[in-house]
Amino acid sequence: MKKIVCITLVVLCFSNNTKAQNIQIVKFNDLKQLVYNQSDTTYIVNFFASWCKPCIQEIPVFLSFAKGTKKNKVKLVFVSLDLKTNQEKLLQIVEKYNLQNVYLLNETNANNWINKIGKHWSGAIPATLIIKKGKHKKFIANAISSETLFKLTK
Amino acid sequence: MKTQKTLSIILIAIAIFFTNSFTPKTNKELVDFKLKNVDGNLVSLSNFPNAKGFIIIFTCNHCPFAKLYPERLNNLNLKYKELGVPLIAISSTDTIMYEEDTYPNMVIKAKDEHFNFPYLFDEMQTVAKNFKAQKTPHAFVIWKENEKWIVKYNGAIDDNGMEPEKVTESYVANAVDALLKGKNILVKETKSIGCQIAFRK
Repeated sequence: MKKIVCITLVVLCFSNNTKAQNIQIVKFNDLKQLVYNQSDTTYIVNFFASWCKPCIQEIPVFLSFAKGTKKNKVKLVFVSLDLKTNQEKLLQIVEKYNLQNVYLLNETNANNWINKIGKHWSGAIPATLIIKKGKHKKFIANAISSETLFKLTK
Repeated sequence: MKTQKTLSIILIAIAIFFTNSFTPKTNKELVDFKLKNVDGNLVSLSNFPNAKGFIIIFTCNHCPFAKLYPERLNNLNLKYKELGVPLIAISSTDTIMYEEDTYPNMVIKAKDEHFNFPYLFDEMQTVAKNFKAQKTPHAFVIWKENEKWIVKYNGAIDDNGMEPEKVTESYVANAVDALLKGKNILVKETKSIGCQIAFRK
């Protein structure tokens, strides 16, 4: 019996660790360094949160789009605006869709960084930024369709 | 292929249109409204003949960011109502998408959180459109000038949703304080993360 409990605990710890590794907690400047570079990769940076229904609805759009593109050409980056004190639901979503490159933004005052993403962005999510060669190609302060994605990443 | 291209152009045009048209502006003139409060009565700005201004908060039940603020909203109303600047909260969320935001649930929320201010149901979303409110919470400070209601501040309530004790800039309170003293508002517009008010087509 003891043995089973021990094994279960070890398995539980392990599975929790792998899940947590999928989400990195970052500051805005860390995020900037990740996506602004001169490589040929187009970055699709999606701002979302686990509690935001339209955000979750559009995840499959991004995933199927990425599947249809050449490797290394397009990179999806998911920036979670979930509260850092409550990551449970976020973990569930990351696991469900097997999301990669998920970053939880650890900033208290959004007024300091929102304008750097989009001048016309009020901070409502979902919102998506497309970056190519370190430059903003397009910012969409709304849900995005796969047609728009194709057009914008060309 | 051609239709697809045309479609994408249309979609991009729509996206650009939305981005620009929903950018709120200060100094915008507002029309009065009449919305149902959680006590069943209709509320308009004209119900407060002595008001110098209002703190209008677009909020809702479901949004985690809105959930951080009820106590702070009560405190704002407690302080500024007496000074002629009452607070009014409005929920304009699409209730088809979020059942938590229906009128009966608003009534429960107002009771549970001991709201000391009107919590109005903007069922048709017309008031949110008039204000160009985009998310919850989204705060506005409006002021009476020549019998007209003018937007003087729009944006965040303060600079730290998560940790109220670490707030260093109380944007809404600062704006109201400045207006009460007849001074210029230093920060007229701020940004914050919130739940999008999805406008029904």
